[in-house]
Parts: sequence; structure tokens; C-alpha cells
Amino acid sequence: MTRLWGIVLNWIAVGLAEDIPVGTVVPRRVDGLDLAIWRSGLGRFHAWDDRCPHRGMRLSHGFVRGEVLACVYHGWQYNLDGACDYIPAHPDLTPPKTICANTYVCETRNQALWVALGTVNGDVPDIGDRIPIRSLDISCGAPAIARYFDHPQDPLIVLRGKYDLAIALQPSTSRSCFAHVFAGAGQDKKIVSRYVEKLRDELEAA
Amino acid sequence: MILYDYVLSASCYKIRLMAALSGQKLELQAVNFHPAREHKSPEMLKLNPGGTLPILRDEDLIMTDSSDMLRHLTRNLPEWQGDDDGWLDFARTLNETLGMARLHDVLGFEVDIDAARKRGVHLLRLLEAHLTEQRFDGMIFLTGDTPTIADIACFPNTALAPDGGVSLDVYPSIRLWMRALRSLPGFIEMPGIHRLHELEAAE
Ligand code: FES
Repeated sequence: MTRLWGIVLNWIAVGLAEDIPVGTVVPRRVDGLDLAIWRSGLGRFHAWDDRCPHRGMRLSHGFVRGEVLACVYHGWQYNLDGACDYIPAHPDLTPPKTICANTYVCETRNQALWVALGTVNGDVPDIGDRIPIRSLDISCGAPAIARYFDHPQDPLIVLRGKYDLAIALQPSTSRSCFAHVFAGAGQDKKIVSRYVEKLRDELEAA
Repeated sequence: MILYDYVLSASCYKIRLMAALSGQKLELQAVNFHPAREHKSPEMLKLNPGGTLPILRDEDLIMTDSSDMLRHLTRNLPEWQGDDDGWLDFARTLNETLGMARLHDVLGFEVDIDAARKRGVHLLRLLEAHLTEQRFDGMIFLTGDTPTIADIACFPNTALAPDGGVSLDVYPSIRLWMRALRSLPGFIEMPGIHRLHELEAAE
């Protein structure tokens, strides 16, 4: 479990599945912790510390090759468990088991991507049959956003209203969030996208 | 065609990239922009009194504006033309903000760095919003589902934003757009902008 904003959170949203196509890796920050989220050739998502066990290069600068993530610096390859299984400079060596990326539990549910930074406790939050709209950064802390909407500090802020919005907040730092936005099925994505930009302007001006 | 070129310049790279993607050969004439300030030398000023780079020379025609150069290179290539005008202007503002932030960080230029970064972030948000709407319509590029000079004009200063201290981590649609550009046949690199490693590995 992770303690953020003074409350205990199990699951933290880190993005929309459609923004991370098969074979790609992206960086995400959760409360100052840098993660590399990648999707293997077979389509499975993984969340690791964004730090190569070799010399600390960001793994999110690396590249996916089938079912392994390769570091861009010296090409060390890490398999689905995070274990290093190939070192290009020593092709005949079986790397020791201790060379291992730090991994977290990562789940998708209805196109939303969630990470558990500690022991998994409870179900992945459910956005229902809403459709993914987009992720956008907001220069406000998560507590300020929840307060603005007069909403409890849950992993999912459900606003209902005209667009039936559900916003999963990824608290990047104490002063910024990455907001993953979903809207009721059948909503016009462009209209909702522009509406949440307006919401962001209001939040940042508040 | 001769391009008076500086390898670290985002605007020079724009022209090299456009030529490479459209299979045209440029004769490159390296100009020592930094530290020698060769672009302000008497010979260069004779060519371009404005004292800027890049300069593109096609016989008697001398161009000093990178948008003009992109148009010139694609004048007979309709597939590279779209609804580009607004984006060429947008590319200019990217150069004045993210581009200047980078020159500040990389070459020590004197710039109001906080203002440059702040305006740069504002532009990236506009770019992200537009590219997200394009994706809703099933398109990955700025003006359609194939790249045009609009994309080539906006790409370099966007991709180099981190060199000026502006992160691209929070722009999923910009990242996918850059990925699509980086995987185009004929794509060339510059320091700070790389091809997709996945493609290299497959060769
Ligand atoms: S730092 Fe990653 S392989 Fe060397």
C-alpha cells in the first residue's frame, strides 16, 4: 500500500492502454517515483522502476524487443520478470539472478492502466463502461483537485454530470497530476477533450 | 542545392530531414555557428544580410526562411503538402520558445529562460490537444494521415524540448506522433534525435 496525500492508496492510475501501443515504453511519475511502463510484443503491460540495474539509465529510454525490454545504454535485456537475461558485451554469460529490475503489479481494466506500488489490496478501481478520452497534466496537487470538485480523495474522481466523467488521478508530484479521463459511452470525444481542457484552466487558475 | 548548415541547429535539421525524406540530395556547407559565429562573417552576410542559418541556395535563388525552404523542396511533391500555413507559423513560435530554451541550456545563450519554457509548455499543450483530436479521427499527423511540411516544420524543436529543460513525458499524442515520424523511410538523425532502435535491430 502506498501512502499519498495522507491517505492509503492501493491502486494508482498511470494511463490509457491505447496510448501505449504494443512494443512501446513510456515514463510515468508517481509521487516523485519514476516508473517505466511498457507493453510487450504479446500485449502485456509491465511497470518497473525507471532505472536500469546496470548503470541507472532510464529504462523508459529503452526499447521493447518482443517480450524483453532492452536498455538503450549498453543493451542489457530484461525479461518479463525483470530479470536480466542477456548482456551484449558478454553474449555467452548467463547473468546472475541478482541483476533484476524492480517491478510492480500492473493491471488493465476497461482500457485504464493501474499500478500497485505496494502489496495489492482490494480490486482495481472500476470505470464501468465509460470510454477513454485522454490523459492530461494539471499543475495542481491531487488534494486541491479533489477539494475543487468537493470530492473525497479517491483514486477515481467521478463527476457524472453532462459527460459522465471519471478522472483517475496520478499524483506525479505534490504540485502536479496526470489526469486520466474517461467519459460516458456515446460521448463525443472531441467535445469532452475540450471540456476537460477548460476544467484544467479553471483548476490551475483557482 | 546547397544548404549552409550547422549540425546542432534545429532549423537546419528541418531542411536536411525534408530533403532526406523526399529523396533529394543537398550539398552541405558546414558553417561554424558556435563558437566561431561564422554566420556573421562578411562572406555569409553577403549571402544573407540577416545573418541567420540555415541558408538554402538553388542556383540564383537564395532562401533564408526555413518555411520557404520546405515549400521550395516540396513544390513538385503534392503528397507533402497539406493545410500547412498555420503550422508553419506555429513552428516559428516553437523556435522562439523551446528553441531558445535549448540554445540557453546547450550553448549558453542569454534568454529569459523561465518565460521561454513557460510559453513552450503552453505550445506543447496546444500541439497535444490537436494531435489528440487527430487521433480521435484516426489520423496520426498534423494535417492528415500522411506527413506534410507542417509535421517536418514542428518536429525538431518539439523533439529537442528536453534539451531546453522541458519534458515531453506528459504528452502521449505528441510522443506517438514523434514515433510515427521517426519511423518514416529515409528518416535521418541529429544529435538529440534518434531513429527508432526497434527498426535498427530489425535490419
Ligand atoms: S545502463 Fe542499462 S545497460 Fe548499462
